[in-house]
Amino acid sequence: MESPLFDIKLNNLTKKFDSFTAVNNINFTIPKSSVTVLLGPSGCGKTTLMRMIAGLEKPTSGSIFFEEHEVTRVSTRRRNLGMVFQYPVIYRGTSVKRNLELPLLSEGLEKQVINDRVHKVAELLGISDSLNKLVEELDNGTRQKIAVGRAIAREPNIILFDEPITNIDINSKLELKRSLKELFGRLSQTIVYVTHDQTEAMTLADQIALMQDGVITQCAPPSEIYSKPGNQFAGWFLGNPGMNFIDKKHLTKTDSTVGAPTLFSQTLRVGARARDVAVLGIRAESVSVSTKEVSGAKPARVLRKSLGIGGQYLLDLDYAGLVIKVRVSHAMGREVSDKVWTTVDSDNISLFDENGVVV
Amino acid sequence: MTNSSLEIRELSKSYGSKPILSKLSFAIPSDDFAVICGKPGNGKSVLVRLIMGLEEADSGKVLVRGEDVTNSEPGSRNIGYIPQTFALVPHFSVQKNIEYPLELLNASKEEKAEAVERVAELLKITDLLAKKPEQLSGGQKQRVAIARGLAKPTDVYLLDDPLVGLDFKLRERLIDDLRVSQEKLGVTFLYVTSDSLEALQLAKTVLVLANGTIVQQGPLADVYDNPTNISTLDTLGFPEANLISGEVKNSVFESSTFSIKTNIKGYSGPAVAGIRPESVLLGKSPDAVVLKAQVTLMENLGSEIVSYLKVPGTMLKLVVSRTDNEAIKALNSNELSIFMKLPSIKIFNKQSGQWVGNGVSLV
Repeated sequence: MESPLFDIKLNNLTKKFDSFTAVNNINFTIPKSSVTVLLGPSGCGKTTLMRMIAGLEKPTSGSIFFEEHEVTRVSTRRRNLGMVFQYPVIYRGTSVKRNLELPLLSEGLEKQVINDRVHKVAELLGISDSLNKLVEELDNGTRQKIAVGRAIAREPNIILFDEPITNIDINSKLELKRSLKELFGRLSQTIVYVTHDQTEAMTLADQIALMQDGVITQCAPPSEIYSKPGNQFAGWFLGNPGMNFIDKKHLTKTDSTVGAPTLFSQTLRVGARARDVAVLGIRAESVSVSTKEVSGAKPARVLRKSLGIGGQYLLDLDYAGLVIKVRVSHAMGREVSDKVWTTVDSDNISLFDENGVVV
Repeated sequence: MTNSSLEIRELSKSYGSKPILSKLSFAIPSDDFAVICGKPGNGKSVLVRLIMGLEEADSGKVLVRGEDVTNSEPGSRNIGYIPQTFALVPHFSVQKNIEYPLELLNASKEEKAEAVERVAELLKITDLLAKKPEQLSGGQKQRVAIARGLAKPTDVYLLDDPLVGLDFKLRERLIDDLRVSQEKLGVTFLYVTSDSLEALQLAKTVLVLANGTIVQQGPLADVYDNPTNISTLDTLGFPEANLISGEVKNSVFESSTFSIKTNIKGYSGPAVAGIRPESVLLGKSPDAVVLKAQVTLMENLGSEIVSYLKVPGTMLKLVVSRTDNEAIKALNSNELSIFMKLPSIKIFNKQSGQWVGNGVSLV
């Protein structure tokens, strides 16, 4: 859809509710024509941040720019945004077509333009066949699509989504997700999307801005934030299970190397910051497991075995008091009994300092 | 069975003319972590209420520690109960909330202190004991509720979907803590859930509840690998299994997606082919069902990617690892083929749900 491209700049943005700081001095640029997902646990400030971008919440301090225009004190109506909320905002008792037309009528557009837009939006969302249906006839996933249609029909510069899939029933969730993914690929607007669901974020985002306690702790494309977490929180929050952390007491350090001799035999060449390393992070799937003794591999006792995604086995392994989770194939998992030997590829180990920040 | 902690014999319950549970039976040995997994609306809550004695069965028996308690008062059954909702007393401290069930049992001060210390440590809430419920987050409240249930000194606990509604990361931590708690306490847990991933991660023994009865029960890995009922395949597994409707005639399964010869003997009629997402593989292979496919969505779970593929007549789910670069490249190409090995295609009687055979060769 044709539209001028806008980026969003947040300068020293803070929002306090009495003594509680919901958003804490955020400096951040949301690139134009991309999908940025604000992801984090409940209470991290993601919704407050979006509401300030929308003009629904007044910042305590700081400023917001759309391109070079400051909008901090501009009303929501004049920010030229589309918004989609948790529950579909639609007019009941009217047709799908009417629902899509209404926001355009108030713009004073010509009839033909309105008609073209409605059909274009319906096509984008795959609801062309439902245009003449009453909204009551549709499941709530399709109703949410209409709400999305209403938001994009005016062709705003920026479209904001506040957990649009969270309250949609399970049977419609997948189709809505699929539809949004396809839509995002075809729209050129700047999209900001809030969710607490990591799978949704990883599936839909061009970049994920991960939030914790009112700040953005890392912003990166999904695969990067997963494989190269910028801090321990990112390592823990993304993935099922989250990253394993190996703390100081299991580490051996020199001025330039770090090792964890109970877990792997190699030493990691870290360079000047070796002494700063306080925690190692290893993903469950980054540990190679063998049921037979292999030279250079470390032995571990199998504490627990369970099943996970796609039939893979999750093992809780005990290396003389150090317990980590590893993931193995279904076939391998079946073979595993009480002892295994493991290795870890050096490239797949993250290093964090005392504050949990990647070294 | 005398060594069962909990045994249910032919339990039935109807509401008016609507049967909820019909002749449901199972037995759980002591020290087991048993999980009843069933889709929503399958009568899980009713079963829980019957076991606890909060409702009366139409027929059948409930035995706890080998003793028939069908007609006993709830309080005399001596089962620890962990509910779905927190139900904490708002003006009591966390400590007092945990002690409360013990107070009703006239426990001594020492017994109460010992119990609180033990469960607070297991659930990692020692630093919350002095707080009031309103000062806690949702996850902390549920930890307290679980601790309160476990504080009751007994050897059989019923956990009624205690993690429902908690967000994903809180659940991940509690799953670990529940497993460790059961092991350390050396007691029997019967855990009821509709979340497949929860069942897979918690269960030693799994019981699949469908159509008001337990359709399959056994060690988790055995049940997962050898589903004898379509409901087992459908209920237990993440992502959910692929199900394709068709018809069996002269041992041939026919559908609009594929037709194959099977080892089915003595059944003809409507059938469903079930294939786990991990048994749908990328590429081509001789002696396998090969289909052209089109990707409609790739869901990124971090370590895995679930792909939803359009194939003739249906949609199939497939799982690949994020580190499998070749697979990811293939999924992004226009020309995509998938294959399913014949023995991994399991056929079920559509009406009864019973497993009737597997694929053996191409037609």
